Amino acid sequence: METEYTKQIRDKARELLENGTVECVIGYETGTDGINARPAFIYDPADVERLVFDNTCSHNLVKYLLNMKGKPTAVVVKGCDSRALNLLLAEKQLQRDNIYVIGVVCPGVVEWGWNKQSDKLQKRCVLCRQHTPLIHDILLGEPVTEEPPPDFTDVAEMEAMSSEERAAFWQEQVERCIRCYACRQACPGCYCIDCFVEQLDPEWVGIRIAPGENLMWNTIRAFHLAGRCVACNECERVCPVNIPLSLLNRKLEQEVLDLFDYRPGMSEDAIAPLITFKKDEKLGIGE
Amino acid sequence: MTKVLGRSELESWLGEIMRERTLVAPRRIDDLVLFTPVQSVDEIAFDFDNTNLSPKEFFFPRTETLFTTVYKDGEVELTPAVIDRETVIFGIRPCDARGIAICDGPYLGDPPDSLWAQHREKTTLIGLACTRPAPQCFCSSMGSAPNDSSNVDILLTEVEDGYAVEVITEKGENLLQGVELKDSDVKPVAPSCDASVPADGIVEAVKKSFDDIYWSRLADRCIHCNICAYVCPTCYCFDIRDYKRGDVIERIRTWESCQSKGFTRIAGGYDPRADKGSRLRQRFCHKLLYFPEQFGPLGCVGCGRCVVACPVNIDIREIISDIQETGAKVGQGSN
Amino acid sequence: MVKEAIEESTPNPFVPYPATLKSAVDLTIDVKLFTLELDRVEDEFDYKPGQFAFVSAFGVGEAPFGLTSVAHRKEGLQFAIRRVGTVTNALHQLEPGARLGVRGPFGNFFPLEDYKGRNIFIVGGGIGFAPLRPVVNTLIDNRNDYGNILILNAARSPRDLCFRSECDEWAKAPKTRVELTVDAGDEDWKGRVALAPDVVEELKPSPENTIAIICGPPIMIRFTLQRLKQLGFGDEQIVTTLEGKMKCGLGKCFRCNVGEKYICRDGPVFTFDQISGFIEQF
Repeated sequence: METEYTKQIRDKARELLENGTVECVIGYETGTDGINARPAFIYDPADVERLVFDNTCSHNLVKYLLNMKGKPTAVVVKGCDSRALNLLLAEKQLQRDNIYVIGVVCPGVVEWGWNKQSDKLQKRCVLCRQHTPLIHDILLGEPVTEEPPPDFTDVAEMEAMSSEERAAFWQEQVERCIRCYACRQACPGCYCIDCFVEQLDPEWVGIRIAPGENLMWNTIRAFHLAGRCVACNECERVCPVNIPLSLLNRKLEQEVLDLFDYRPGMSEDAIAPLITFKKDEKLGIGE
Repeated sequence: MTKVLGRSELESWLGEIMRERTLVAPRRIDDLVLFTPVQSVDEIAFDFDNTNLSPKEFFFPRTETLFTTVYKDGEVELTPAVIDRETVIFGIRPCDARGIAICDGPYLGDPPDSLWAQHREKTTLIGLACTRPAPQCFCSSMGSAPNDSSNVDILLTEVEDGYAVEVITEKGENLLQGVELKDSDVKPVAPSCDASVPADGIVEAVKKSFDDIYWSRLADRCIHCNICAYVCPTCYCFDIRDYKRGDVIERIRTWESCQSKGFTRIAGGYDPRADKGSRLRQRFCHKLLYFPEQFGPLGCVGCGRCVVACPVNIDIREIISDIQETGAKVGQGSN
Repeated sequence: MVKEAIEESTPNPFVPYPATLKSAVDLTIDVKLFTLELDRVEDEFDYKPGQFAFVSAFGVGEAPFGLTSVAHRKEGLQFAIRRVGTVTNALHQLEPGARLGVRGPFGNFFPLEDYKGRNIFIVGGGIGFAPLRPVVNTLIDNRNDYGNILILNAARSPRDLCFRSECDEWAKAPKTRVELTVDAGDEDWKGRVALAPDVVEELKPSPENTIAIICGPPIMIRFTLQRLKQLGFGDEQIVTTLEGKMKCGLGKCFRCNVGEKYICRDGPVFTFDQISGFIEQF
């Protein structure tokens, strides 16, 4: 399952490690099922042969940069991942000069699961509007210039349901939630040292693993990401009980696009509209 | 001579059971198979590998009230929780049944946990032997087998004309009262499961590898969610908190895992296991070192759910194999 | 195993004994000495210095605290509690007469029986003195069974010193010496201003037939331990109590472990000999 990217990534990683530009290269390697990729942390140039790039490289590796404590690190990014990198740079969680970005023009990744062999592209890849990483120190592959317009058919289908139908749908979903917080842990936008769900004083959401609290958990997290979610869809991929979290995030993504004409993560300077105050902003209320 | 129960007889028996007790069985929900209480035999999935979540939640629920307090007008009234409904779990695999029996160690150890004890007393297990282990299964490496009957009350094995029935305990016998079993020549086939995971001597190997940089490297990709612990049949750690509604206070416990932030953080902010490596190591040391040293069996039954569910492919089988290698190198002058 | 455990209708080990707050006296700016009395005589339990109990502020939560009273003195259940989190904040706001829950006793205890005939050197830092107070009181109550007693009560400042009046009482006992020290004094302080480890060096207790019991902030323990070893104390002669996040106290939630040891069952009292043998070092 190796593509030409694999060789290029290995060569670059070897070079960066050998000349000490970085202490670690975060990329992908094949997992224990022999099919699907998993994150790989390469510290020794002799280990670069572990690195691969194929259509199972679903993970968003950018979040791992937050653990590197400022040490110079190289990271492999796809288009969606590059938006996450922009987000973290814009929100001052990372510093550009200790990151070497190996950008990959990604044709899309397939459904990921242990021992799962699939040819079907993930939903976010079918809807992808950013095949070319926006930020890179080296770009592998030919940049894609034509990108499709936004498609929110899934959100529209959701909205076509009556309130009762929608309520019943989400009730069923949140009953399954086990509050593993994998969605939060995988999300590059969720980096709060003390998440709201862990606060005791005041206690916003109880620890009870029950539909009421679960609904609060998932919806408030989606709100905290409004205007910030870069649609990498890792949250939905990692959920062990298959809750369609993308529907929540994409609804808000559409709202932000309509209200502010804003797409998260498009540059390392852009700040999300809901955390920006502009004196001359008109709210359209009472005017 | 094998005792056999035909498929339709099985279904009517289960239908009978669910009239007076809660019947928990595997059910297909979208792409998942989950153990849930069922209201009709039609809901039951008879053909499945294993469920996505383990049945431990019928003994150690996701959220459970320990006791309630009514504190009013200076008076305190404490009421311990009582489990009064009888439950039957149909379709539990030998690995999961072993997981529950393994948890008896900590839960029934001095002092015994009355809620776990009540759930155990009030629950009957109708085990279903595996006829085809799944790619992630390795129960045979961890002290069990696809047809291990040690921890169930009745063991069923699918055969040509229905299900072979083995009565294991008195509880199982009582449940089968009035059910007619046929005699049959058919012999239940015992399939094999992955016995190649090198678990022999893993306790020593983990002990020797305790300070190795392996844990830190492994933890690089771990995202410290709680998936592995929550899907696992032998993970039993919990959190406790009080909730007040009017004058009634409930002290509840919920699932929690050593991987979550703040698991070991004390008031004031100090956390002795703040770094990823020692936190991840804690999980595997609990399962493969501390638990067996205290209770005997390894804290892993080989169900493979964590292997399937981990978003970054942290695979306990790989770890066991790696640690055997690392442990062997200790004291040989290597780093 | 299942059958035996449930035969006698297993009592619920999470349910606390109801108790009443008798008094809450300020020890320092953020530490209060709480005295509780169990409501029912049949709930009374014996306990030894070093053990701890869980105190419930109903509706808020429960937390473990070292027992600072001595059972045989029948002075009620006493805890020195610092206001540092949600539960302790709630406790600090209670008035005498309030109802609380108590679960206990938990943990192991200082083996004071084994120390008979020995000299005892006690070093407590700030609220770390709380688990040492019942040790001192037990030694004083059985004065003739022990050798020389040397007590060092240290704190960041005079306002952080705990149990000052009791120190004066203890100093009156035969062959008992009490020294106080603070890291920084104030206008009224006329006593010693020095860090605890430096005072240990100054006092030069002999390791001969002596047990040293130290409790306090980790940094104080670390340097005091160093000085004691320099003076010739072996690891098995130095005892302390460990602290960890706890929820059940029953060895079930597996949160308080240091390696294979549970602080709630194998501890909290450990010698440094034992601690250095733990597979996990914090």
